[in-house]
Amino acid sequence: MNTYYAANLLIFAGVDIIACLALNLQFGVSGVVNFSFIVFQAAGAYAAAVLSMPPDTAPDYSFQIYVGGYQLPFPLPWIGGAVAGALLALPIGLVVLRRLRADYQAIALLVTSIIANTVINNARPLLNGAAGLALVPQPLDGVVNTNTNSYQYLFIGLTAICVAIVWFLSARIVNSPYGRTLRAMRENELAASALGKNPTALKMTTFVVGGAIAGLSGAILVGFLQVWAPSTWLYPETIILFAAVIVGGRGNNVGAILGALLVPVGFEEVTRLLGRMNIGPPNLIPALEWVCIGLLILGFLWFRPKGVVPEQRRVFPGAPAVEEQTRWVIGKGAR
Amino acid sequence: MLSARDIHRHFEGMHAVDGVSIEVMPGRITGLIGPNGAGKSTLMAVLAGTLPASSGTIVFQGEDITPLPAYQRARRGMVRTFQLPSEFSQLTVLENLLVAAPDNRGESLLGALLGKRYWMPDETRLVAQARGLLKRFGLSAKESDYAGTLSGGQKRLVEIMRALMLGPRLLLLDEPMSGVHPSIVDEIAGYLEQLRDDGLTILMVEHELHIVDRLCDPVIVMAQGKVIGQGSMTALRRQPEIVEAYLVG
Repeated sequence: MNTYYAANLLIFAGVDIIACLALNLQFGVSGVVNFSFIVFQAAGAYAAAVLSMPPDTAPDYSFQIYVGGYQLPFPLPWIGGAVAGALLALPIGLVVLRRLRADYQAIALLVTSIIANTVINNARPLLNGAAGLALVPQPLDGVVNTNTNSYQYLFIGLTAICVAIVWFLSARIVNSPYGRTLRAMRENELAASALGKNPTALKMTTFVVGGAIAGLSGAILVGFLQVWAPSTWLYPETIILFAAVIVGGRGNNVGAILGALLVPVGFEEVTRLLGRMNIGPPNLIPALEWVCIGLLILGFLWFRPKGVVPEQRRVFPGAPAVEEQTRWVIGKGAR
Repeated sequence: MLSARDIHRHFEGMHAVDGVSIEVMPGRITGLIGPNGAGKSTLMAVLAGTLPASSGTIVFQGEDITPLPAYQRARRGMVRTFQLPSEFSQLTVLENLLVAAPDNRGESLLGALLGKRYWMPDETRLVAQARGLLKRFGLSAKESDYAGTLSGGQKRLVEIMRALMLGPRLLLLDEPMSGVHPSIVDEIAGYLEQLRDDGLTILMVEHELHIVDRLCDPVIVMAQGKVIGQGSMTALRRQPEIVEAYLVG
Protein backbone atom coordinates (compact mmCIF):
# COMPACT_ATOMS: atom_id res chain seq x y z
CA MET A 1 0.00 0.00 0.00
CA ASN A 2 1.65 3.26 -1.08
CA THR A 3 1.53 6.44 0.96
CA TYR A 4 -0.83 8.23 -1.37
CA TYR A 5 -3.37 5.38 -1.28
CA ALA A 6 -3.18 5.16 2.52
CA ALA A 7 -3.57 8.92 2.86
CA ASN A 8 -6.47 8.83 0.43
CA LEU A 9 -8.20 6.14 2.47
CA LEU A 10 -7.59 7.79 5.84
CA ILE A 11 -8.73 11.23 4.70
CA PHE A 12 -11.86 9.84 3.08
CA ALA A 13 -12.51 7.89 6.27
CA GLY A 14 -12.12 11.08 8.31
CA VAL A 15 -14.45 13.05 6.04
CA ASP A 16 -17.04 10.26 6.09
CA ILE A 17 -16.82 9.92 9.87
CA ILE A 18 -17.41 13.65 10.29
CA ALA A 19 -20.33 13.53 7.84
CA CYS A 20 -21.87 10.46 9.52
CA LEU A 21 -21.56 12.04 12.97
CA ALA A 22 -23.48 15.05 11.64
CA LEU A 23 -26.12 12.93 9.96
CA ASN A 24 -26.42 10.80 13.08
CA LEU A 25 -27.11 13.94 15.09
CA GLN A 26 -29.85 14.96 12.67
CA PHE A 27 -31.36 11.65 11.65
CA GLY A 28 -30.21 9.15 14.28
CA VAL A 29 -30.70 11.27 17.39
CA SER A 30 -33.25 13.90 16.37
CA GLY A 31 -35.27 12.04 13.73
CA VAL A 32 -34.81 14.71 11.05
CA VAL A 33 -34.64 12.80 7.76
CA ASN A 34 -32.28 15.17 5.99
CA PHE A 35 -32.25 13.89 2.43
CA SER A 36 -30.45 17.08 1.39
CA PHE A 37 -27.45 16.41 3.62
CA ILE A 38 -25.00 16.38 0.72
CA VAL A 39 -26.01 19.95 -0.17
CA PHE A 40 -24.52 21.18 3.10
CA GLN A 41 -21.32 19.27 2.48
CA ALA A 42 -21.22 20.84 -1.00
CA ALA A 43 -21.86 24.31 0.44
CA GLY A 44 -18.87 23.86 2.76
CA ALA A 45 -16.72 22.64 -0.11
CA TYR A 46 -17.64 25.52 -2.41
CA ALA A 47 -17.20 28.07 0.38
CA ALA A 48 -13.78 26.71 1.32
CA ALA A 49 -12.80 26.66 -2.34
CA VAL A 50 -13.71 30.27 -3.15
CA LEU A 51 -12.26 31.47 0.15
CA SER A 52 -8.90 29.87 -0.58
CA MET A 53 -8.70 30.40 -4.36
CA PRO A 54 -7.47 33.62 -5.97
CA PRO A 55 -9.96 35.68 -8.04
CA ASP A 56 -10.97 34.07 -11.32
CA THR A 57 -9.08 36.81 -13.13
CA ALA A 58 -5.77 35.51 -11.80
CA PRO A 59 -3.39 33.77 -14.19
CA ASP A 60 -3.97 29.97 -14.22
CA TYR A 61 -7.54 30.49 -12.92
CA SER A 62 -9.08 32.47 -15.77
CA PHE A 63 -10.42 29.31 -17.46
CA GLN A 64 -13.16 29.18 -14.81
CA ILE A 65 -15.75 31.63 -13.51
CA TYR A 66 -16.71 31.91 -9.85
CA VAL A 67 -17.70 34.37 -7.19
CA GLY A 68 -15.25 35.28 -4.45
CA GLY A 69 -11.63 34.28 -4.69
CA TYR A 70 -10.29 35.70 -1.45
CA GLN A 71 -7.08 33.70 -0.98
CA LEU A 72 -7.65 33.43 2.76
CA PRO A 73 -5.01 31.53 4.74
CA PHE A 74 -5.69 28.19 6.42
CA PRO A 75 -7.75 27.48 8.58
CA LEU A 76 -10.13 30.26 7.53
CA PRO A 77 -11.44 28.37 4.46
CA TRP A 78 -12.31 25.36 6.63
CA ILE A 79 -14.00 27.57 9.21
CA GLY A 80 -15.77 29.34 6.35
CA GLY A 81 -16.96 25.97 5.04
CA ALA A 82 -18.53 25.16 8.40
CA VAL A 83 -20.13 28.61 8.61
CA ALA A 84 -21.50 28.23 5.08
CA GLY A 85 -23.13 24.89 6.00
CA ALA A 86 -24.70 26.47 9.07
CA LEU A 87 -25.90 29.56 7.22
CA LEU A 88 -27.45 27.49 4.46
CA ALA A 89 -29.28 25.42 7.07
CA LEU A 90 -31.10 28.50 8.35
CA PRO A 91 -33.28 29.33 5.31
CA ILE A 92 -33.80 25.69 4.35
CA GLY A 93 -34.71 24.79 7.91
CA LEU A 94 -37.06 27.72 8.30
CA VAL A 95 -38.92 26.73 5.14
CA VAL A 96 -38.97 22.96 5.64
CA LEU A 97 -38.96 22.29 9.37
CA ARG A 98 -41.56 24.71 10.69
CA ARG A 99 -44.86 23.57 9.25
CA LEU A 100 -44.36 20.30 7.39
CA ARG A 101 -44.96 16.85 8.86
CA ALA A 102 -41.88 14.65 9.17
CA ASP A 103 -42.56 12.60 6.03
CA TYR A 104 -43.16 15.72 3.95
CA GLN A 105 -40.01 17.25 5.42
CA ALA A 106 -38.03 14.31 4.01
CA ILE A 107 -39.59 14.78 0.57
CA ALA A 108 -39.02 18.55 0.65
CA LEU A 109 -35.38 18.06 1.60
CA LEU A 110 -34.86 15.54 -1.20
CA VAL A 111 -36.34 18.01 -3.66
CA THR A 112 -34.12 20.75 -2.21
CA SER A 113 -31.08 18.61 -2.97
CA ILE A 114 -32.13 18.12 -6.58
CA ILE A 115 -32.96 21.81 -7.04
CA ALA A 116 -29.65 22.95 -5.52
CA ASN A 117 -27.65 20.64 -7.75
CA THR A 118 -29.56 21.70 -10.84
CA VAL A 119 -29.13 25.40 -10.07
CA ILE A 120 -25.38 25.16 -9.45
CA ASN A 121 -25.02 22.91 -12.49
CA ASN A 122 -26.61 25.48 -14.77
CA ALA A 123 -25.71 28.85 -13.24
CA ARG A 124 -22.16 28.99 -14.50
CA PRO A 125 -21.28 32.53 -13.29
CA LEU A 126 -21.78 31.40 -9.68
CA LEU A 127 -19.45 28.43 -9.29
CA ASN A 128 -18.42 27.52 -12.82
CA GLY A 129 -21.47 25.33 -13.46
CA ALA A 130 -21.14 21.68 -14.41
CA ALA A 131 -17.40 21.92 -14.97
CA GLY A 132 -16.96 22.84 -11.31
CA LEU A 133 -13.97 24.36 -9.61
CA ALA A 134 -10.40 23.19 -10.13
CA LEU A 135 -6.97 24.04 -8.76
CA VAL A 136 -8.38 24.62 -5.26
CA PRO A 137 -5.32 25.34 -3.10
CA GLN A 138 -4.58 22.78 -0.42
CA PRO A 139 -4.37 23.92 3.21
CA LEU A 140 -1.07 25.67 3.98
CA ASP A 141 -0.24 25.80 0.27
CA GLY A 142 2.63 28.24 -0.08
CA VAL A 143 3.61 27.76 3.55
CA VAL A 144 4.75 24.15 3.21
CA ASN A 145 5.53 21.97 0.21
CA THR A 146 2.28 20.17 -0.58
CA ASN A 147 3.89 17.64 -2.93
CA THR A 148 5.63 15.56 -0.31
CA ASN A 149 4.72 12.47 1.71
CA SER A 150 5.04 14.48 4.90
CA TYR A 151 2.31 16.83 3.65
CA GLN A 152 0.05 13.81 3.30
CA TYR A 153 0.70 13.01 6.96
CA LEU A 154 0.06 16.64 7.87
CA PHE A 155 -3.27 16.54 6.04
CA ILE A 156 -4.18 13.31 7.82
CA GLY A 157 -3.29 14.97 11.11
CA LEU A 158 -5.45 18.03 10.36
CA THR A 159 -8.35 15.77 9.41
CA ALA A 160 -7.86 13.72 12.58
CA ILE A 161 -7.99 16.89 14.67
CA CYS A 162 -11.31 17.82 13.03
CA VAL A 163 -12.65 14.30 13.62
CA ALA A 164 -11.66 14.55 17.28
CA ILE A 165 -13.31 17.96 17.70
CA VAL A 166 -16.53 16.84 16.00
CA TRP A 167 -16.56 13.60 18.00
CA PHE A 168 -16.05 15.53 21.25
CA LEU A 169 -18.86 17.99 20.50
CA SER A 170 -21.23 15.28 19.24
CA ALA A 171 -20.60 13.16 22.33
CA ARG A 172 -21.37 16.11 24.58
CA ILE A 173 -24.63 16.76 22.76
CA VAL A 174 -25.79 13.14 22.47
CA ASN A 175 -24.99 12.22 26.09
CA SER A 176 -26.52 15.33 27.68
CA PRO A 177 -30.06 16.17 28.81
CA TYR A 178 -30.31 18.13 25.54
CA GLY A 179 -29.54 14.94 23.59
CA ARG A 180 -32.18 13.13 25.63
CA THR A 181 -34.72 15.76 24.61
CA LEU A 182 -33.72 15.32 20.97
CA ARG A 183 -34.26 11.56 21.30
CA ALA A 184 -37.65 12.16 22.93
CA MET A 185 -38.62 14.40 20.01
CA ARG A 186 -37.52 11.64 17.63
CA GLU A 187 -39.74 9.15 19.46
CA ASN A 188 -42.87 11.30 19.72
CA GLU A 189 -42.80 14.91 18.63
CA LEU A 190 -46.37 15.64 19.74
CA ALA A 191 -45.78 14.30 23.23
CA ALA A 192 -42.52 16.25 23.49
CA SER A 193 -44.29 19.50 22.60
CA ALA A 194 -46.96 18.70 25.20
CA LEU A 195 -44.13 18.60 27.76
CA GLY A 196 -42.95 22.11 26.96
CA LYS A 197 -40.38 21.27 24.29
CA ASN A 198 -40.30 23.42 21.16
CA PRO A 199 -39.83 20.90 18.32
CA THR A 200 -39.17 23.54 15.67
CA ALA A 201 -36.39 25.15 17.71
CA LEU A 202 -34.89 21.76 18.52
CA LYS A 203 -34.95 20.69 14.88
CA MET A 204 -33.56 24.01 13.69
CA THR A 205 -30.68 23.79 16.14
CA THR A 206 -29.77 20.26 15.16
CA PHE A 207 -30.16 21.21 11.50
CA VAL A 208 -27.78 24.16 11.83
CA VAL A 209 -25.23 22.26 13.93
CA GLY A 210 -25.38 19.31 11.53
CA GLY A 211 -25.12 21.72 8.60
CA ALA A 212 -21.97 23.27 10.07
CA ILE A 213 -20.36 19.86 10.58
CA ALA A 214 -21.37 18.79 7.07
CA GLY A 215 -19.86 22.00 5.72
CA LEU A 216 -16.61 21.27 7.52
CA SER A 217 -16.50 17.79 5.99
CA GLY A 218 -16.92 19.34 2.55
CA ALA A 219 -14.18 21.88 3.22
CA ILE A 220 -11.74 19.12 4.18
CA LEU A 221 -12.70 17.09 1.13
CA VAL A 222 -12.21 19.92 -1.35
CA GLY A 223 -8.90 20.78 0.27
CA PHE A 224 -7.74 17.27 -0.44
CA LEU A 225 -9.31 16.67 -3.87
CA GLN A 226 -8.62 20.24 -5.09
CA VAL A 227 -11.64 19.97 -7.40
CA TRP A 228 -15.37 20.20 -6.76
CA ALA A 229 -18.24 19.90 -9.23
CA PRO A 230 -22.01 19.18 -9.13
CA SER A 231 -21.36 15.59 -10.26
CA THR A 232 -19.62 14.92 -6.92
CA TRP A 233 -22.62 15.81 -4.81
CA LEU A 234 -25.64 14.26 -6.49
CA TYR A 235 -28.48 13.36 -4.13
CA PRO A 236 -27.67 9.60 -4.06
CA GLU A 237 -24.50 10.48 -2.14
CA THR A 238 -26.79 11.29 0.80
CA ILE A 239 -28.26 7.79 0.55
CA ILE A 240 -24.80 6.29 1.07
CA LEU A 241 -24.43 8.26 4.29
CA PHE A 242 -27.90 7.20 5.42
CA ALA A 243 -26.88 3.60 4.71
CA ALA A 244 -23.80 4.12 6.87
CA VAL A 245 -25.79 5.46 9.83
CA ILE A 246 -28.43 2.72 9.51
CA VAL A 247 -25.83 -0.05 9.21
CA GLY A 248 -23.63 1.30 12.01
CA GLY A 249 -26.52 1.97 14.37
CA ARG A 250 -28.52 5.17 14.45
CA GLY A 251 -28.57 7.27 17.57
CA ASN A 252 -25.06 6.61 18.80
CA ASN A 253 -21.74 8.06 17.69
CA VAL A 254 -19.86 4.75 17.78
CA GLY A 255 -22.40 3.31 15.37
CA ALA A 256 -22.04 6.33 13.09
CA ILE A 257 -18.26 5.94 12.97
CA LEU A 258 -18.49 2.20 12.37
CA GLY A 259 -21.04 2.82 9.62
CA ALA A 260 -18.74 5.38 8.00
CA LEU A 261 -15.91 2.86 7.96
CA LEU A 262 -18.09 -0.01 6.72
CA VAL A 263 -20.14 1.67 4.01
CA PRO A 264 -18.65 4.76 2.33
CA VAL A 265 -15.07 3.67 2.95
CA GLY A 266 -15.09 -0.15 3.11
CA PHE A 267 -17.91 -0.87 0.71
CA GLU A 268 -16.76 1.60 -1.91
CA GLU A 269 -13.17 0.42 -1.65
CA VAL A 270 -14.22 -3.18 -2.22
CA THR A 271 -16.27 -2.25 -5.26
CA ARG A 272 -13.42 -0.07 -6.53
CA LEU A 273 -11.02 -2.97 -6.29
CA LEU A 274 -13.56 -5.25 -8.00
CA GLY A 275 -13.80 -2.64 -10.76
CA ARG A 276 -10.08 -2.98 -11.38
CA MET A 277 -10.49 -6.73 -11.92
CA ASN A 278 -12.37 -6.07 -15.19
CA ILE A 279 -15.41 -8.16 -14.31
CA GLY A 280 -18.22 -7.81 -16.87
CA PRO A 281 -19.10 -4.63 -18.79
CA PRO A 282 -17.42 -1.36 -17.65
CA ASN A 283 -20.42 -0.01 -15.72
CA LEU A 284 -21.44 -3.27 -14.12
CA ILE A 285 -19.61 -2.83 -10.81
CA PRO A 286 -20.70 0.82 -10.19
CA ALA A 287 -24.29 -0.16 -11.02
CA LEU A 288 -24.12 -3.17 -8.74
CA GLU A 289 -22.71 -0.93 -6.03
CA TRP A 290 -25.95 1.06 -5.94
CA VAL A 291 -28.01 -2.13 -5.94
CA CYS A 292 -25.97 -3.43 -3.02
CA ILE A 293 -26.33 -0.16 -1.06
CA GLY A 294 -30.09 -0.35 -1.54
CA LEU A 295 -30.15 -3.98 -0.45
CA LEU A 296 -27.94 -3.14 2.51
CA ILE A 297 -30.39 -0.52 3.74
CA LEU A 298 -33.39 -2.81 3.20
CA GLY A 299 -31.64 -5.75 4.83
CA PHE A 300 -30.69 -3.83 7.93
CA LEU A 301 -34.08 -2.13 8.25
CA TRP A 302 -35.70 -5.55 8.00
CA PHE A 303 -33.40 -7.80 9.99
CA ARG A 304 -31.41 -5.47 12.24
CA PRO A 305 -33.08 -2.08 12.36
CA LYS A 306 -30.94 -0.90 15.25
CA GLY A 307 -27.73 -1.50 13.27
CA VAL A 308 -24.49 -3.24 14.18
CA VAL A 309 -24.05 -1.15 17.34
CA PRO A 310 -27.51 -0.34 18.70
CA GLU A 311 -28.19 2.81 20.68
CA GLN A 312 -27.20 2.14 24.27
CA ARG A 313 -29.65 2.07 27.14
CA ARG A 314 -28.93 4.83 29.65
CA VAL A 315 -28.78 3.44 33.17
CA PHE A 316 -28.29 5.84 36.05
CA PRO A 317 -26.09 5.10 39.08
CA GLY A 318 -28.08 3.46 41.85
CA ALA A 319 -30.65 1.96 39.46
CA PRO A 320 -32.02 -1.54 40.01
CA ALA A 321 -30.07 -4.25 38.14
CA VAL A 322 -30.60 -4.43 34.40
CA GLU A 323 -30.44 -7.82 32.72
CA GLU A 324 -28.73 -6.76 29.52
CA GLN A 325 -24.95 -6.62 29.77
CA THR A 326 -24.38 -3.70 27.43
CA ARG A 327 -25.49 -0.44 28.87
CA TRP A 328 -24.41 3.12 29.32
CA VAL A 329 -23.91 4.41 32.81
CA ILE A 330 -24.48 8.14 33.06
CA GLY A 331 -21.36 9.83 34.27
CA LYS A 332 -19.21 6.71 33.94
CA GLY A 333 -19.30 5.79 30.25
CA ALA A 334 -19.97 2.34 28.81
CA ARG A 335 -19.49 -0.79 30.86
CA MET B 1 -58.36 28.06 36.61
CA LEU B 2 -59.28 27.44 32.95
CA SER B 3 -62.01 29.15 31.04
CA ALA B 4 -62.86 28.31 27.44
CA ARG B 5 -65.34 30.53 25.66
CA ASP B 6 -67.24 29.68 22.48
CA ILE B 7 -64.61 27.29 21.14
CA HIS B 8 -65.05 26.11 17.57
CA ARG B 9 -62.90 23.64 15.70
CA HIS B 10 -63.85 22.78 12.14
CA PHE B 11 -62.32 20.16 9.86
CA GLU B 12 -63.20 20.74 6.21
CA GLY B 13 -66.70 21.89 7.15
CA MET B 14 -67.22 19.27 9.87
CA HIS B 15 -67.85 20.93 13.24
CA ALA B 16 -65.93 18.70 15.65
CA VAL B 17 -66.24 21.30 18.41
CA ASP B 18 -69.12 23.68 17.93
CA GLY B 19 -69.33 26.63 20.30
CA VAL B 20 -68.19 24.96 23.51
CA SER B 21 -67.78 27.02 26.70
CA ILE B 22 -66.49 25.37 29.85
CA GLU B 23 -64.99 26.34 33.20
CA VAL B 24 -62.50 24.19 35.10
CA MET B 25 -62.44 24.91 38.82
CA PRO B 26 -59.20 24.63 40.82
CA GLY B 27 -58.57 21.64 43.07
CA ARG B 28 -61.18 19.43 41.40
CA ILE B 29 -61.32 16.66 38.86
CA THR B 30 -63.66 17.82 36.13
CA GLY B 31 -65.01 15.01 33.98
CA LEU B 32 -65.64 15.31 30.25
CA ILE B 33 -67.89 12.57 28.94
CA GLY B 34 -69.91 11.86 25.85
CA PRO B 35 -70.40 9.29 23.09
CA ASN B 36 -67.71 8.52 20.52
CA GLY B 37 -67.35 11.41 18.08
CA ALA B 38 -68.73 13.95 20.56
CA GLY B 39 -65.61 16.11 20.17
CA LYS B 40 -64.07 15.47 23.60
CA SER B 41 -60.56 14.61 22.42
CA THR B 42 -60.65 17.44 19.87
CA LEU B 43 -61.60 19.85 22.65
CA MET B 44 -58.73 18.53 24.80
CA ALA B 45 -56.34 19.01 21.89
CA VAL B 46 -57.59 22.57 21.34
CA LEU B 47 -57.28 23.38 25.05
CA ALA B 48 -53.74 21.98 25.15
CA GLY B 49 -52.76 23.79 21.96
CA THR B 50 -52.04 20.64 20.00
CA LEU B 51 -54.76 21.77 17.59
CA PRO B 52 -55.47 25.45 17.00
CA ALA B 53 -59.02 26.59 17.62
CA SER B 54 -60.96 27.82 14.58
CA SER B 55 -62.37 30.49 16.88
CA GLY B 56 -62.98 31.14 20.56
CA THR B 57 -60.94 32.18 23.57
CA ILE B 58 -59.02 30.15 26.14
CA VAL B 59 -57.98 31.83 29.38
CA PHE B 60 -55.68 29.99 31.80
CA GLN B 61 -55.03 31.54 35.20
CA GLY B 62 -56.13 34.93 33.96
CA GLU B 63 -53.98 34.89 30.81
CA ASP B 64 -55.37 34.58 27.29
CA ILE B 65 -53.43 31.60 25.94
CA THR B 66 -55.45 31.16 22.73
CA PRO B 67 -52.58 32.04 20.35
CA LEU B 68 -49.95 30.05 22.25
CA PRO B 69 -48.57 26.77 20.87
CA ALA B 70 -48.71 23.58 22.93
CA TYR B 71 -45.19 23.83 24.32
CA GLN B 72 -45.78 27.32 25.70
CA ARG B 73 -49.03 26.24 27.36
CA ALA B 74 -47.17 23.30 28.93
CA ARG B 75 -44.53 25.69 30.28
CA ARG B 76 -47.32 27.69 31.91
CA GLY B 77 -48.46 24.59 33.78
CA MET B 78 -51.14 23.06 31.55
CA VAL B 79 -49.97 19.57 30.67
CA ARG B 80 -51.86 16.95 28.71
CA THR B 81 -51.69 13.21 28.21
CA PHE B 82 -52.95 11.47 25.10
CA GLN B 83 -55.74 9.04 24.27
CA LEU B 84 -53.18 6.59 22.84
CA PRO B 85 -50.05 5.76 24.82
CA SER B 86 -47.44 8.37 23.95
CA GLU B 87 -44.40 7.19 25.87
CA PHE B 88 -40.94 7.76 24.42
CA SER B 89 -40.53 4.08 23.72
CA GLN B 90 -36.76 3.94 23.18
CA LEU B 91 -36.06 5.93 26.32
CA THR B 92 -36.04 4.30 29.72
CA VAL B 93 -38.82 5.01 32.21
CA LEU B 94 -36.53 7.28 34.22
CA GLU B 95 -35.47 9.13 31.06
CA ASN B 96 -39.14 9.62 30.15
CA LEU B 97 -39.58 11.46 33.43
CA LEU B 98 -36.35 13.42 33.13
CA VAL B 99 -37.23 14.68 29.65
CA ALA B 100 -40.22 16.47 31.13
CA ALA B 101 -38.31 18.17 33.92
CA PRO B 102 -37.80 21.90 33.45
CA ASP B 103 -34.84 23.83 34.87
CA ASN B 104 -32.07 21.48 33.76
CA ARG B 105 -29.06 23.49 32.64
CA GLY B 106 -28.10 20.71 30.25
CA GLU B 107 -31.34 21.16 28.31
CA SER B 108 -29.86 23.78 25.97
CA LEU B 109 -27.26 23.30 23.27
CA LEU B 110 -24.85 25.58 25.09
CA GLY B 111 -25.43 23.78 28.37
CA ALA B 112 -24.81 20.43 26.67
CA LEU B 113 -21.56 21.67 25.12
CA LEU B 114 -20.35 22.99 28.47
CA GLY B 115 -20.33 19.42 29.73
CA LYS B 116 -21.35 17.31 32.70
CA ARG B 117 -19.78 19.51 35.33
CA TYR B 118 -22.16 22.25 34.26
CA TRP B 119 -25.40 20.28 34.29
CA MET B 120 -24.78 17.28 36.54
CA PRO B 121 -25.99 19.02 39.76
CA ASP B 122 -29.37 19.68 38.11
CA GLU B 123 -29.44 16.16 36.72
CA THR B 124 -28.73 14.63 40.12
CA ARG B 125 -31.51 16.68 41.73
CA LEU B 126 -34.00 15.73 39.02
CA VAL B 127 -33.08 12.03 39.12
CA ALA B 128 -33.87 12.09 42.85
CA GLN B 129 -37.18 13.84 42.15
CA ALA B 130 -38.07 11.34 39.41
CA ARG B 131 -37.18 8.41 41.63
CA GLY B 132 -39.47 9.84 44.29
CA LEU B 133 -42.33 9.77 41.80
CA LEU B 134 -41.44 6.24 40.66
CA LYS B 135 -41.54 5.11 44.26
CA ARG B 136 -44.86 6.82 44.88
CA PHE B 137 -46.40 5.17 41.81
CA GLY B 138 -44.80 1.77 42.49
CA LEU B 139 -42.60 1.65 39.41
CA SER B 140 -39.13 1.94 40.96
CA ALA B 141 -38.14 -1.51 39.70
CA LYS B 142 -38.90 -0.44 36.14
CA GLU B 143 -36.75 2.69 36.06
CA SER B 144 -34.22 1.30 33.57
CA ASP B 145 -36.72 -0.54 31.38
CA TYR B 146 -37.49 0.88 27.98
CA ALA B 147 -40.87 2.61 28.28
CA GLY B 148 -42.02 0.84 25.11
CA THR B 149 -41.83 -2.52 26.91
CA LEU B 150 -44.27 -1.59 29.71
CA SER B 151 -47.87 -2.75 29.98
CA GLY B 152 -50.71 -0.41 29.01
CA GLY B 153 -51.39 0.56 32.62
CA GLN B 154 -47.73 1.18 33.37
CA LYS B 155 -47.44 3.39 30.29
CA ARG B 156 -50.38 5.44 31.57
CA LEU B 157 -48.65 5.86 34.91
CA VAL B 158 -45.44 6.92 33.18
CA GLU B 159 -47.39 9.56 31.25
CA ILE B 160 -48.96 10.87 34.45
CA MET B 161 -45.61 10.90 36.27
CA ARG B 162 -44.00 12.58 33.28
CA ALA B 163 -46.63 15.30 33.40
CA LEU B 164 -46.08 15.68 37.15
CA MET B 165 -42.36 16.28 36.60
CA LEU B 166 -43.33 19.62 35.06
CA GLY B 167 -45.02 20.72 38.26
CA PRO B 168 -48.33 21.28 36.46
CA ARG B 169 -51.24 23.37 37.71
CA LEU B 170 -53.73 21.69 35.41
CA LEU B 171 -53.58 18.15 34.06
CA LEU B 172 -55.55 17.33 30.93
CA LEU B 173 -56.01 13.56 30.89
CA ASP B 174 -57.45 12.03 27.73
CA GLU B 175 -58.95 8.65 28.65
CA PRO B 176 -56.28 7.68 31.18
CA MET B 177 -57.95 4.28 31.72
CA SER B 178 -58.06 3.42 28.02
CA GLY B 179 -56.28 0.14 27.26
CA VAL B 180 -55.57 -0.43 30.94
CA HIS B 181 -56.18 -3.81 32.57
CA PRO B 182 -59.25 -3.60 34.86
CA SER B 183 -57.16 -4.56 37.87
CA ILE B 184 -55.03 -1.43 37.37
CA VAL B 185 -57.91 0.98 36.73
CA ASP B 186 -58.76 1.38 40.42
CA GLU B 187 -55.08 1.80 41.22
CA ILE B 188 -54.75 4.68 38.74
CA ALA B 189 -57.99 6.17 40.08
CA GLY B 190 -56.50 6.07 43.56
CA TYR B 191 -53.42 7.96 42.38
CA LEU B 192 -55.61 10.60 40.71
CA GLU B 193 -57.56 11.04 43.96
CA GLN B 194 -54.29 11.57 45.80
CA LEU B 195 -53.21 14.19 43.26
CA ARG B 196 -56.54 15.98 43.61
CA ASP B 197 -56.21 15.90 47.39
CA ASP B 198 -52.75 17.42 46.97
CA GLY B 199 -54.44 20.38 45.24
CA LEU B 200 -53.86 19.51 41.58
CA THR B 201 -56.61 20.44 39.11
CA ILE B 202 -57.55 17.81 36.54
CA LEU B 203 -59.75 17.82 33.46
CA MET B 204 -60.34 14.25 32.39
CA VAL B 205 -62.01 12.64 29.40
CA GLU B 206 -63.22 9.21 30.49
CA HIS B 207 -65.57 6.50 29.29
CA GLU B 208 -65.53 4.38 32.44
CA LEU B 209 -68.60 5.81 34.18
CA HIS B 210 -67.86 4.20 37.54
CA ILE B 211 -64.54 6.05 37.51
CA VAL B 212 -66.27 9.30 36.56
CA ASP B 213 -68.76 8.65 39.39
CA ARG B 214 -65.92 8.12 41.81
CA LEU B 215 -63.58 10.93 40.80
CA CYS B 216 -65.28 13.70 38.91
CA ASP B 217 -67.29 16.64 40.10
CA PRO B 218 -68.46 18.46 38.09
CA VAL B 219 -68.98 16.46 34.91
CA ILE B 220 -69.42 18.03 31.48
CA VAL B 221 -71.39 16.09 28.86
CA MET B 222 -70.70 16.61 25.16
CA ALA B 223 -72.54 15.34 22.11
CA GLN B 224 -72.10 16.30 18.46
CA GLY B 225 -69.52 18.92 19.30
CA LYS B 226 -71.65 20.76 21.85
CA VAL B 227 -71.96 20.78 25.64
CA ILE B 228 -75.38 19.34 26.43
CA GLY B 229 -75.15 19.46 30.20
CA GLN B 230 -72.97 19.77 33.25
CA GLY B 231 -73.15 19.15 36.96
CA SER B 232 -72.66 16.22 39.30
CA MET B 233 -73.27 12.73 37.95
CA THR B 234 -76.29 12.46 40.26
CA ALA B 235 -77.80 15.62 38.78
CA LEU B 236 -76.99 14.57 35.22
CA ARG B 237 -78.71 11.23 35.69
CA ARG B 238 -81.92 13.13 36.39
CA GLN B 239 -81.85 14.85 32.96
CA PRO B 240 -83.65 12.62 30.41
CA GLU B 241 -81.95 14.11 27.32
CA ILE B 242 -78.51 13.38 28.76
CA VAL B 243 -79.50 9.90 29.83
CA GLU B 244 -80.80 9.31 26.34
CA ALA B 245 -77.69 10.77 24.67
CA TYR B 246 -75.09 8.98 26.71
CA LEU B 247 -75.96 7.54 30.08
CA VAL B 248 -78.28 4.76 28.94
CA GLY B 249 -77.19 1.56 30.62
